Amino acid sequence: MRHNFLDRYAGLDSPLHALEARTKLVGFLALILGVLWIPAGSNLIFFAYFLLTAVLMGISQIPLGYIVGRTLAILPFVVLAGLAAPWGDHFEGVRLVAIVLRSILSLLFLILLTSTTAFAELLRGLRKLGCPKILVLNLGFLYRYLFVLTEEVLRMRQARDCRRVGRAPALAEFKLLGAMLGTLLVRSFERAERMYQAMLSRGYDGDLRILAPRKFTWLDLGFLAGVTLFIVGVRP
Amino acid sequence: MHIPDGFLSNKMWLALDALSGASILYAARRLRLEASARIVPLMGVLSAFVFAAQLLNFPVLGGTSGHLVGGALLAILLGPLAGFLTMATVLIAQALFLQDGGLAALGANIFNIGAVTSFSGYGLFRLLAGSPPRERRLAWAGFVSGWASLVLSAVCCALELGLSRAIPLEVGLPAMAGYHAIIGFAEGGLTAGVLVFLVRVRPDLIKGTSDLRMGLADWAVALGFVALPVLVLILAGSSALPDPLERLLSSAGAMTEPRNDAGDLLSPDRYPEYLRAAAILVVGTALVYLVARLVQGRSRKS
Amino acid sequence: MPSSSSKSDRYAVRLTRLSYTYPDGTRALEGIDLDVGEGERVALVGPSGAGKSTLLLHLNGVLTGTGGVRVMGQLLEGADLREIRRHVGLVFQDPDDQLFCPTVLEDVAFGPLNMGFPAQEISSRVERVLADVGLNQSFRNRSSHHLSHGERKRVALASVLVMEPKILALDEPTSNLDPRNRRHLIDLVAALPITLLLATHDLEMVLALCPRTVVMDGGKIWAEGETGPILSDSALMEEHGLEVPLSLRRP
Repeated sequence: MRHNFLDRYAGLDSPLHALEARTKLVGFLALILGVLWIPAGSNLIFFAYFLLTAVLMGISQIPLGYIVGRTLAILPFVVLAGLAAPWGDHFEGVRLVAIVLRSILSLLFLILLTSTTAFAELLRGLRKLGCPKILVLNLGFLYRYLFVLTEEVLRMRQARDCRRVGRAPALAEFKLLGAMLGTLLVRSFERAERMYQAMLSRGYDGDLRILAPRKFTWLDLGFLAGVTLFIVGVRP
Repeated sequence: MHIPDGFLSNKMWLALDALSGASILYAARRLRLEASARIVPLMGVLSAFVFAAQLLNFPVLGGTSGHLVGGALLAILLGPLAGFLTMATVLIAQALFLQDGGLAALGANIFNIGAVTSFSGYGLFRLLAGSPPRERRLAWAGFVSGWASLVLSAVCCALELGLSRAIPLEVGLPAMAGYHAIIGFAEGGLTAGVLVFLVRVRPDLIKGTSDLRMGLADWAVALGFVALPVLVLILAGSSALPDPLERLLSSAGAMTEPRNDAGDLLSPDRYPEYLRAAAILVVGTALVYLVARLVQGRSRKS
Repeated sequence: MPSSSSKSDRYAVRLTRLSYTYPDGTRALEGIDLDVGEGERVALVGPSGAGKSTLLLHLNGVLTGTGGVRVMGQLLEGADLREIRRHVGLVFQDPDDQLFCPTVLEDVAFGPLNMGFPAQEISSRVERVLADVGLNQSFRNRSSHHLSHGERKRVALASVLVMEPKILALDEPTSNLDPRNRRHLIDLVAALPITLLLATHDLEMVLALCPRTVVMDGGKIWAEGETGPILSDSALMEEHGLEVPLSLRRP
């Protein structure tokens, strides 16, 4: 896992990148809701939404290969699960197609949201929208320490693989995994303790505070207005 | 199992979003008012721990691989509310970073993988291990909690998908419950294993951190929280309920129907239909790609 | 802060018979008596496990032992710790423990945010302090896990200096730093007009920065005095797991 895979394209320069986090959160969520309300079989509406994603993907300047890659990674599960649907009273092909299309569209909007917004900015937007502070802080800590812990995991896995010849019996594997998890857990607790001391040293008193996000501009208003018009306009 | 967007009926994911949202607000408020200040960095690091720990895969049933979910373990170590919030954090991050599970379906996933695992795991553990936990019973209390948390979570997931008419109950329920009953052995085993490891290396962690207990009143509220929406859903989606249940009961009849359809699906006279669908898919994708490229090129120049 | 002219006011830090035992029973500090004057620079040297870090953690009340801890004339017991923590800046050994926010901006702003400063004030302080430690403003939006060890150490220092403390306590500031970053850090600290407590194994840095040295071992103070003579005393150094620094050895 590369260090910058999360905010890889968050620093690009495009109208979507310039939008405030709140705007994008609300806007893309609204679009996803719009997608979920498309009745099965309304091919034109699906088409309109796909056109919209195409336009947005273009505006975002995000490399298309990246978006396609992320979509393809999730697709197998979607299709597989969707294929279980027809095994009902009769083959509901239309419903299967609708499920798959809705999944893909929602996925595309989600990718557009997360790839055009730096995670820290996203968190500030979430807070402004009313997300509890403790949750926002938690997400921040997860983001910050994810790589530290992932590296520890990979190192442990490497160490385990170095000492392994062939495949050990399942029970031994399990015990080893348990010990690895246990060690990782203890280290996490110890790190949390030192983190707490560092937080105290800089004035932490249990009350949580978060910086404010970017300012709301005309561009944000325009985006939200556009999204609203689209959702309301493109309906059966 | 993270549910993507598009599978659950609108009523279903709306109800679950509301439920999970309210639960998060409730847990956050309780923790803010009652928990010690050090729970914040602890939850933060453990969120990262769970996320990272889920990278440690182990092979299951030839081909697939499983990983520790951790809901029960976290609830046992941090208490159910903090454990729940930590899992919710992980699930939100998974949706945002990895697109694992949809955005509208986040409420459902938080409920299944966050709430159900945490509360059931915690409840069972307290019941079996006693309070304070007795060492001898620690291992198997941990095992049962881990196992049951996974199975219950899978059952809820199957119910949601079934009631949404996405995956019929008679397929989904046995498949999800059965698969997770087997995987649950790993979850239970790892939960027990980690707890036993901790009691040897850092016993203070098992007793000290779960300072936010759930009293009787809390359990009543939690149960009410779950029972009320489920009741509403069942009443609202009652048309969906009897059919799959009925078919489940009359098992013999249910087995023959799908087999007929299976034959139908692969018959040659369906081929033009499939070809047409495939053509539309390919042309449609190409069209979308071209439009996106076009817009990208033009906006770059301006 | 009390404005009486009693003797204790002349000291930035006054430790009186400070002792501390960890929850698991380990005795970390035993009867420490130490006075540090305003503007003084004192080094704490000793083998690993001597209690140097533990001592530093008492200066801002993160750890509470028995005995007296007076910071700028005020007894820590019962005091408003937030004010104390504003005036005592503690930089930990591992920057990963100290940088826990998603971006550098938030890490550096964490202290001022807790102090309740308005957004404008926070913004200007952050800008200033990043420049002071030699980091480009573009670092604000970067995440600390993308930074090199040297850069992280600078951000950690910045996150403490941003509160404009009167007393600075550094725990192993030059550990794992390459020569260039080490030199930069030493020069940076040398230019700060504050009271300094430096816990370190880097004895050359002690010679460069601190006129006074305290030798700790096993939770106790064994020697105290002018840096030159103390660090030249080879018997003393070896007895406490140290070595006379190269620059002091006769050829």
